[in-house]
Amino acid sequence: MDTDLIAPGFERVVDRDPPLDSIAQGLTFGEGPVWDKRSGQLYWVDIIGNTIWKWKPGVGREVVLRPSGHANGMTFDKEGRLTVAGWCSRTIYRFEHDGTITTIASKYQDKKFNSPNDIVVRSDGSTYWTDSAGGLVIPGMVAQDVQRYLDMMGVFRLTPDGKEVQLVIADCTYPNGLAFSPDEKILYVNDTRLALIRAFDVNPDGSVGPGRIFHKLTGTEDGVADGMKCDVEGNVYCTGPGGVHVIAPDGRLLGRLKIPGHCTNMGFGDDDWKSLYVTTFKQVYRTRVKVPGVAVW
Amino acid sequence: MNLNFEQVAGPYQGAMGGLAWDGARMLFATVDEGFIRSFDPATRATGEYRKFANRINGLAFAPDGRLFACQDGGRRVIQFLADGTAAVTATRLDGAVHNHPSDLVIDRAGRVWFSDPFSKVLAFGPQIFPALDHASVLRLELDERHAWKIRRVTYDTVAPRAVQLSPDEKTLYVAEGEVGRKGPRELRAYAVRDDGSVGPYTVLHAFGADHRGEHRGIEGLCLDSDGNLIACGGSLEAGPGPMLYVLAPDGAVLEAHRLPGGAPMRCAFGDAQFDSLYVTSGDGCVYRAQSTGRRGFKRW
Repeated sequence: MDTDLIAPGFERVVDRDPPLDSIAQGLTFGEGPVWDKRSGQLYWVDIIGNTIWKWKPGVGREVVLRPSGHANGMTFDKEGRLTVAGWCSRTIYRFEHDGTITTIASKYQDKKFNSPNDIVVRSDGSTYWTDSAGGLVIPGMVAQDVQRYLDMMGVFRLTPDGKEVQLVIADCTYPNGLAFSPDEKILYVNDTRLALIRAFDVNPDGSVGPGRIFHKLTGTEDGVADGMKCDVEGNVYCTGPGGVHVIAPDGRLLGRLKIPGHCTNMGFGDDDWKSLYVTTFKQVYRTRVKVPGVAVW
Repeated sequence: MNLNFEQVAGPYQGAMGGLAWDGARMLFATVDEGFIRSFDPATRATGEYRKFANRINGLAFAPDGRLFACQDGGRRVIQFLADGTAAVTATRLDGAVHNHPSDLVIDRAGRVWFSDPFSKVLAFGPQIFPALDHASVLRLELDERHAWKIRRVTYDTVAPRAVQLSPDEKTLYVAEGEVGRKGPRELRAYAVRDDGSVGPYTVLHAFGADHRGEHRGIEGLCLDSDGNLIACGGSLEAGPGPMLYVLAPDGAVLEAHRLPGGAPMRCAFGDAQFDSLYVTSGDGCVYRAQSTGRRGFKRW
């Protein structure tokens, strides 16, 4: 795979010619990759294909849920339950250990969410997600109710007891990917329309301070700010023009992984958390990096 | 007869869209701003009918009171329901996502006939689905399981803009053509067959070109109670300017009126006596002429 070395330090993160394997093809809009460390399986979604998939190395892939309500971002909560940003169901839902599905959040101040986009669970058990409104209007992604009710697009938090939905960031233009720094003291949130990443200091109660611009995406190739994850050294991986951009904790672009196709999201996986699974519109790819990603639960 | 058009709403941002009379207020779509707004002739007050409409253009009420709308940016026809929600109809023709619906008319059976032209404005979000290889009039209808399905109606259009049905629903009127796209700008009348397909068309009115450019054709159509066609079109760039025509069903020009503002978009009858004509415009305004001497056609 081609890489762009932009600044020193990128060699620490990735080899000059890392491997690139296509592990799934024939998707319409891949998203939501997340690694299940128990079973050694990758979960991801095809949003327009309305399906949650899983794949086991050496075995193959199978359907987890179809229709999925055009599920988008996914993660595991602290009990290892697959937790889903329900893009067109306009809910946050999770798979219980017995396989049943529970909606854990669907409204803020009695108004339906816009369309939950991506999701992360903090170590205290609270769930954060971005709530952009694309799931109400993008062709091929059809919610039952396409009326938008909330006046803002922001980031929500469900408290660890699951009882309260809090608006933690209200001033986004089109929030999309989000990730915590390894120490969970910073919440990174990107904005597709503004093509930038903001950093927010996280308060002990789970709220966040004012945002600061952490990085502005550059490049003219296909690709936008969409999925985002961190490695254990605090580097931020964000989709952008030309592939996956790797940004140092100080906000400098280190380099780019030039994934073919339009990248939508990524997730670290395998036992050493050094495989990077990248979804594009049509495929899921796997490459290898040298710094482990932040483990998912 | 002279029609005196006055500005009753606007200017809003961008060219305006469709109109629909709800019995007390004239609804109009501010396409770029993403609203459906209302004008109350009793108070002259404007209001918000729906927020977050997301590039709605054509508007039409169904017999049961649901408001159908062409959401050009979402490449679909949606329904605004009385409980405040909005529901999608079908979005695919033979498996492919159709183009950018612009105008619509609903028949007595509740079928939704809509124009589906190409658009210079991209759909929302990533461009996953290519446009169809044709721009046609399509029709939404319920299948035997009460699910929406889409049928293709015209096979000889390249830029259908406005659609309308005659009072007996045996003729489909299509304003075809747009400046800059190959093909004529003309008003066509298609005979509707019993099976819902259409036969060959006759041309009721045609638009020319000169050294200033092609003359913009018709963008909006409505009917008066005698079944005459009210058509708005033209532009400031070439031709006689923004115009409103009254045409007999055979195409005879009964009246022609200059319109204020920019390029006319859509027209509809409204007000208590249903004898006022409203026209939306490319300049972001809504214009109205009262006491036109004609009444609008009520299909039900």
